[in-house]
Amino acid sequence: MVKEIPSSTQSSKSAAKFLSALTAGFLVLNASATSSGAQTFNRAFAVSPEKSELEVVNQAGTIKVTAGANPNKIVINARHSDGAAKINATQNALGKVKVEVTGRGKVDFEIAVPASSSIDLLSYQGAIVVTNLAGAVRARVTDGDIQIDGLRSARVDASCTQGNVSFSGEVLPSGRYTLKSFSGRVDAILPADADFKLSASSFRGGIDLGAFQMKFDKNSHQLVEASHGAGRASISLWTQEGSIHLRRKP
Amino acid sequence: MECRAVVSSLSDYLDARNIWESDDEVEQIETHLTNCPTCRNLKLELSEIKNASRELPLHTPPTALWARISKAIETEISTENGSARRTQNASGWWGWMNSRKFTFSLPQLAAAGAFAAILIVAGISGIFGEKPSQMNFRNAQGSLLLPEEDEIKANLERRLGAINARKAQWDLERRSDFEQRMNRIDESLKRCRNMLEDNPNDAGRQEMVRALYDEKRQLLEDVERLKW
Repeated sequence: MVKEIPSSTQSSKSAAKFLSALTAGFLVLNASATSSGAQTFNRAFAVSPEKSELEVVNQAGTIKVTAGANPNKIVINARHSDGAAKINATQNALGKVKVEVTGRGKVDFEIAVPASSSIDLLSYQGAIVVTNLAGAVRARVTDGDIQIDGLRSARVDASCTQGNVSFSGEVLPSGRYTLKSFSGRVDAILPADADFKLSASSFRGGIDLGAFQMKFDKNSHQLVEASHGAGRASISLWTQEGSIHLRRKP
Repeated sequence: MECRAVVSSLSDYLDARNIWESDDEVEQIETHLTNCPTCRNLKLELSEIKNASRELPLHTPPTALWARISKAIETEISTENGSARRTQNASGWWGWMNSRKFTFSLPQLAAAGAFAAILIVAGISGIFGEKPSQMNFRNAQGSLLLPEEDEIKANLERRLGAINARKAQWDLERRSDFEQRMNRIDESLKRCRNMLEDNPNDAGRQEMVRALYDEKRQLLEDVERLKW
């Protein structure tokens, strides 16, 4: 079930001159990566597109997840510059893939998943970028930004303590979307005909509803409860110290 | 903000006292702490001292102790001044204390002042301070303002207790970072709770307090998931 892609090439002891030259060439190329201290980690897991699940827990560094070309594979590429960080990637009996970084050091991930995958991402320090997915998204950053683009998902839960959260995508009728930041800005870019009930709360920074014509239940500087269209989806936006901005998708 | 101003405000800042003229003042301190490693280290050291003082056992002196001290002073008075003088000073040892002239050098005064300050801080921490497992938590809360607040508090306390037990193994930077974030959320929580106290039925304010408790839970959950 698990397919590993080798991350380094060992020099061959073969006598063939051609292979020796090729290997030497590769080592020269590889040396630049080694001299800068960067190491790579590459792995691929076979998954079922209907049940694909991914969890990533990263101490520091960026996590980028996007819909990949292969609907049956989760492909993980990581780059880390600190030898103290250890990456462990496993798949359980149900097919869920879990990637965990332990130890100190920055690890940057680029992961391709089937578009329908459910993902659960955590980075203590670093950004999370999610693009073109249709499955449930849970993204959590303690210190860093979250950017979610081109989403067609019914469940989004993105929050950070220090950093900005931005969402751009479709609003499905049964969808529940929660975007939160303790001290950063929250941006939601939604289709003009989106049908949703909004709860937006900003203690300090104010709430800007853009061009959406809302039907208000509550409307104050710090709290807005309103609906747009029939109000079927639920959108909850919260920031303690930042501002909230709602924009219509051009 | 200059280092001197931050240093003089650090103690109040760490005690999370509401003495600031504006929120900006707190922000200025926090900005300075982010940018100034010297002040950040000082803040860390003060935090450590404060936390360590919470660990000190609180000793209640036996009731007979004060009587013995009083008696010893009386005896000394009688030895020094003789029986005639003792009769004259009807107010006892307090009168004797008042009648004496004490002179101290500046360093002696400074040392005595510092010692007194440490005793006061240790005493207050011992009496009113929290155990480490409750750190950063009870400060932000008084009476219950949400129907489910007890449950939320219990959950957070349990999680924070487990984290505090592991915190000794963290390096200084990690500890400082975590505590700073917790303090910042606690400050906001305290502010919003104060507002809710003024109008306990304000549903909007209730949601704000809930959101801050949830932010705190999230941070604790992050640390758990990161296996620190």
